[in-house]
Amino acid sequence: MENRRSKTRRLFRPNDYVVIFAFVVIAILLIVFLSPIFWMVSTAFKDKGEYFTYPPVYLPKKLDFSHFFRGLKLGGAKGIQDTLIVAAATTALSMVIGSLAAYSLARFRIGGKHFAFWILSIRMMPPVASVLPLFLFYRFLKILDTYEALIITYTIFNIPFAVWMLKGFFEELPVELEEAALVDGCGRLRAFYKIALPLIAPGLVATALFCFMFSWNEFFFALILTRSNVTPVTVVIAGMIGGHEILWAEISAVAAMASIPIIVLAIFLQRYLVRGLTLGAVKG
Amino acid sequence: MEENRRASFSFNLEKQIPLLFVLPCLIVLLAVSVFPFLYSLWLSFSKWELGMGQRSPTFAWFSNYARLFSDDRFWGSMENMAEVLVFGVGAQLLIGLGVALLLNRPFRGRSWITTLFLLPMMICPVVVGCNWKMIYHYSYGPLNHILGLIGVEGGLNWLGSSDLALPSIIIADTWEWMPFVMIVLLAGLQSIPVELYEAAKVDGASRWQVFWYITLPSLKTIIIIVVLIRLMDTFKLFDLVTLLTQGGPASASETISYFNYLTGFKFFNMGYAAALAYIQLAIIIIIASVFLRFLKKEEGG
Amino acid sequence: MKRTILKMFIGVALMGCLILGTTSSFGAEVVTLTVIGDAGHNLKPFEWYAPIFKEEFGVELKVIGVPFGELYEKEKIEFVAQTGAFDICIVYPKYIGDFAGAGYLMNLDEYAGKLSPAMDDVAPGYRDFYCKVGGSLYAVPFDGDVLSLYFRKDLLENAEEKAAFKKEFGYDLKAPATWDEHVEVAKFFTRKAGEKLAGETLKTPFYGTAFYGQRDQIYAWWGNRFASMGGVYFDEETMKPAINSKAGVDALENMKAVVPYCPPDVLAYGYEELKDIFLNGDAAMVVQWPCVGKKGADPNQSKIVGKVGLAPVPGVKKDGEIYSRAMMPCGRILSIPADAKHPWKAYQVIQWLTVVSSTADVSTPLTGLDPYRISHFETPEAFEMFPTGEDAKIYLAGIKANMSSGYPEPPIPGSMEYIDALAVDITRALQGEKSAQQALDDAAAEWENITERFGRERQQKLYQGLVAGWREAGLWE
Repeated sequence: MENRRSKTRRLFRPNDYVVIFAFVVIAILLIVFLSPIFWMVSTAFKDKGEYFTYPPVYLPKKLDFSHFFRGLKLGGAKGIQDTLIVAAATTALSMVIGSLAAYSLARFRIGGKHFAFWILSIRMMPPVASVLPLFLFYRFLKILDTYEALIITYTIFNIPFAVWMLKGFFEELPVELEEAALVDGCGRLRAFYKIALPLIAPGLVATALFCFMFSWNEFFFALILTRSNVTPVTVVIAGMIGGHEILWAEISAVAAMASIPIIVLAIFLQRYLVRGLTLGAVKG
Repeated sequence: MEENRRASFSFNLEKQIPLLFVLPCLIVLLAVSVFPFLYSLWLSFSKWELGMGQRSPTFAWFSNYARLFSDDRFWGSMENMAEVLVFGVGAQLLIGLGVALLLNRPFRGRSWITTLFLLPMMICPVVVGCNWKMIYHYSYGPLNHILGLIGVEGGLNWLGSSDLALPSIIIADTWEWMPFVMIVLLAGLQSIPVELYEAAKVDGASRWQVFWYITLPSLKTIIIIVVLIRLMDTFKLFDLVTLLTQGGPASASETISYFNYLTGFKFFNMGYAAALAYIQLAIIIIIASVFLRFLKKEEGG
Repeated sequence: MKRTILKMFIGVALMGCLILGTTSSFGAEVVTLTVIGDAGHNLKPFEWYAPIFKEEFGVELKVIGVPFGELYEKEKIEFVAQTGAFDICIVYPKYIGDFAGAGYLMNLDEYAGKLSPAMDDVAPGYRDFYCKVGGSLYAVPFDGDVLSLYFRKDLLENAEEKAAFKKEFGYDLKAPATWDEHVEVAKFFTRKAGEKLAGETLKTPFYGTAFYGQRDQIYAWWGNRFASMGGVYFDEETMKPAINSKAGVDALENMKAVVPYCPPDVLAYGYEELKDIFLNGDAAMVVQWPCVGKKGADPNQSKIVGKVGLAPVPGVKKDGEIYSRAMMPCGRILSIPADAKHPWKAYQVIQWLTVVSSTADVSTPLTGLDPYRISHFETPEAFEMFPTGEDAKIYLAGIKANMSSGYPEPPIPGSMEYIDALAVDITRALQGEKSAQQALDDAAAEWENITERFGRERQQKLYQGLVAGWREAGLWE
């Protein structure tokens, strides 16, 4: 029998013009979307006089790495470390709790649509209204300015997201495979993590990436709930926006360095996003 | 006897699985979210002028909500929010879907290009704001410079005119979040079973028909969810407004969350801010319910 | 038996060491104080003098840097929740009414009596507007901000330009002394690319002037005009806003008149944009903060080194004299929360910073702190960033002149809300959406609402108390 992948390709082999057109469009979009990134990276190397001038400086005079070191020294290093800890913890928690709940909601419709909606509504709460009560709550628990405070907060916002994303993916998954496994004597739990979870791998990957990123880039709660023991990188960067001095280069440098962990994560998780052999198992 | 008991125990456990799976989620969410929800609800019916050192809130019936309805700034910010939601999320959806379709088929270097498209979303929003503030500068920014090179003389007044201030924010926001929509839709596209395409080809369907009758419907759930999540998150749009325009000129680019932030954290009118937050919540809930109705219809079929 | 005695002996010896240990550390007790302020180079002094603080006062400092735009809310939330987390607070002066009025800050009169913060040496405007509430001292100054007029002296001294100006306007070209002259000089110097300026052809447009257009501080640029035209924020008797008086409308009209001679995106201008348009040599004059003068002398940041002139903010001709008031936006003061655990030690630290090290701190390029004491103004040698002592002298004389005629931001509770409402309406008028009178009337109506919500009587009492103090200091009519 023919390999699945090549079969798809032969089914819909586009003619050459379409391919060229597609690549041109991709190239144009890439240029448009990446130019601000290029500007940011080049700013990270610029010196004081090169931020705002005419004509704009696209390529700074020299590749001055001092801003990167200075940014790290000004709190960037601890910032990235703290944010990493918080983001990793909350992603792990949210994915575990969220995937279990999503499966239950998708397969068993537990609580009906009202329960599912209530979960989603948690994420809808405007941060402005919830930050003061949370501040008071954490102060009561004496966990202000700790990792726990941020982890809990972000998990509250990530769980609804994870539940709804994964619920969507679970719902698109045909039930037959799991039912077949159940008939074979497999328990629900095993059917869940041995069959259902791997089949929605692309969805899991995307959701985990976003949970991680949401926590990585969050600013408002990070600002209010921490003082100096925990310094998330977003607050550190905002601290470089002074009243009478904005450290444009250090800001861009630290942001560039701060995005490296996420980029690495994304590259690593890329292959799970791609249609893989696992899908052959659906009919196999 | 022993075996029977064990069997009935495991049978009961299996039955409880639906509830057990959901229990951690229920406990965590309830434990932490109940207090903030109730506290801010109570605040929205109180008067608490922290500026005057009022130590604790006093009950004030519906006065906050009444004040809201007669507040021009509130309605202006709602209007701006609607604009951002429609045009911003709309653009994110269209561009995101387009790029996802382009990246759906495997080709050499695809994973690298996908990662490149993901970059805007991975940069700290505070820095996105600073970066675009530089880009949008009338005299010294690269955007006007490049526009000048391709013939648009004089450049555009991106951040200083009430016509372009909000669109500038929408553009920056779309740039930042298109990757989110793209990657979710890509995951959705990748999950569509091959067999559907096979069947269509056997039936002699054209590319357009395949897209319209197979691809889109299979994506419907995911599209609805991702748009809903983007709508919800865009309501909270705040970083970009603060860094690019501070809601200006005047209140041309003031969104509801920025206005809410001002009332809550600059003016410290906690009661009014809570009322604003609850109105926002009500609106989002209405929007979400509408969207989910579409979902329901889809599941029927 | 022997073993038991040995154990007892060891036990007593250990206890003895413990007692000795605690009593000895009792004598050299080191206390950790938490300082909160806006992150960046302004916190450097706390770092530099840490060894001195430790040795002389037995104080170790834990410094928390908060983003500049969020310092107020961070402090306020901690005060409201009574966390007692801070011992020394850097505060923006416009919030002193808010914080002191709500009882968050400690009254420093007693400590000031014991260890003087040398307030007589502080420029009167700064001292009385920003450090005292109801006659009592609540803070000591740390950073003195006042607006001044900076201009391109090379352009104003250029013979060609002088002749052309005389021809067009009928008087000699010089740094504008009145707001009307300001508009005319701005109009004169606004040129398009391709036109000539001081004998050279411009490659890019040149602007007469620019101002801070962003919502958070635009009112200060209106305030310069408003104050010199005799405006006051409120009517003391009734606590009704007086911003829509003739002075207010004239001020707004004047500001509107100068908009065509500013860059098109001036309404989005913040500190950086305002500084750069001038230091890049693309504007003839700008009203802005003291640090720009210092940066103007640095070849890394300025393309117009040696060409920067400083003058008092334009004013109004009154009885043959020029009456000008300069707004003092931003700034920083040091205060101690009312619930601080070691207030005396905290006071010693802030007294040291405001008296002993202040000259060094405001004259070094390593911080963004600006002078506020008479003694600062009389020590030009300390300001090393200027190429010559003469330059430093001129700079300091200009800052001193402006600070002597300083005008406060509204330091009453709710200042942010009043400022925000005013700023939105000012901008609407500048864009032509409303007439100046209409815009200020709307702003005044909004101010009334705010006053009502805060409690008119309480606001009035506070305001009257403040004004009484100002009048006594000779700074208010």
